[in-house]
Amino acid sequence: MKLKEIPFNDQSAERIYKDYLYRIKKEVKGLNQQNQDEILMELNSHIYESLQEHPTGNEVEKLLNILEKLGRPEEILKPLVADKKLAEATKTFNPIHVFKALLLNLTNGISYIIFFILYLFLFGFVFLIGAKIWNPSQVGFFYKPGEVFILGHSKGLVNPDDELLGNWFIPAMVVSAIALYFIITLLLKLKRTINK
Amino acid sequence: MNEDFIHKWISQVKKGTLSFIVLNVLKGGKAYYGYDLINEIKKITEIEIAEGTLYPLMNRLKDEKLIKSEWVEQESGIPRKYYSITPEGKNTVTKMEEYWHNLNKSVLKITK
Repeated sequence: MKLKEIPFNDQSAERIYKDYLYRIKKEVKGLNQQNQDEILMELNSHIYESLQEHPTGNEVEKLLNILEKLGRPEEILKPLVADKKLAEATKTFNPIHVFKALLLNLTNGISYIIFFILYLFLFGFVFLIGAKIWNPSQVGFFYKPGEVFILGHSKGLVNPDDELLGNWFIPAMVVSAIALYFIITLLLKLKRTINK
Repeated sequence: MNEDFIHKWISQVKKGTLSFIVLNVLKGGKAYYGYDLINEIKKITEIEIAEGTLYPLMNRLKDEKLIKSEWVEQESGIPRKYYSITPEGKNTVTKMEEYWHNLNKSVLKITK
């Protein structure tokens, strides 16, 4: 279904209406197309039905009253967009969606902050892959019982021979990142199910 | 009297009860579109709700599978999204009513 715009006789009313639609579109543009259309069409229908209630009278005044009662898109759509984004993200396993959804939900509680920190760990693994290529001798997994335990940059303080993974370092980091990513997304899904 | 405090308290109470009110309006089985639902709530309860807050709430109720929605084409070309209650929603609102009555009794006792 496509959005059908409401026709206005008054040009000012039309401009106010178009501006409001534009603000809605701006708020929802992070969502997938179907969710964007749903939200836009539902609010459009609300405006249309409200206008029908009083068919006569000044269009501008009527429209301004309706929009004022409905509220600013920037405010009313925040919780809606955050919810929908999270639903989208846990459905697709797409890291960019998950990251965006977590950002939007940061204000919705401490657990999302924990998820966000876990997510940063994930980028840590990815970063280490790059670092290993750039500086192979000093980046790695250095371990000597009771003395050394470093995953990352040794800063030249340890014997490069203590590096255990060697050429397996990059594959190990790739596997760790993927494993952590699936764990985070599954935890997010689980959290959503528990909330329900 | 602290008007500011009362104002905040009222808006919290309203926010907390809106889902209960919506489910009660829908429990009869009739389907409503958003604007219609707002008017129905105003008519029955005389509660002024911030209209924009209804839509995020409807989305949550739908996520929880308490209500379902359906787009219905209109002659105007601007379709309406109708919401109706699910069996799970009906059971849920019955439980909510029980709790509400108990709460009401306790509040009446304490305010005596």
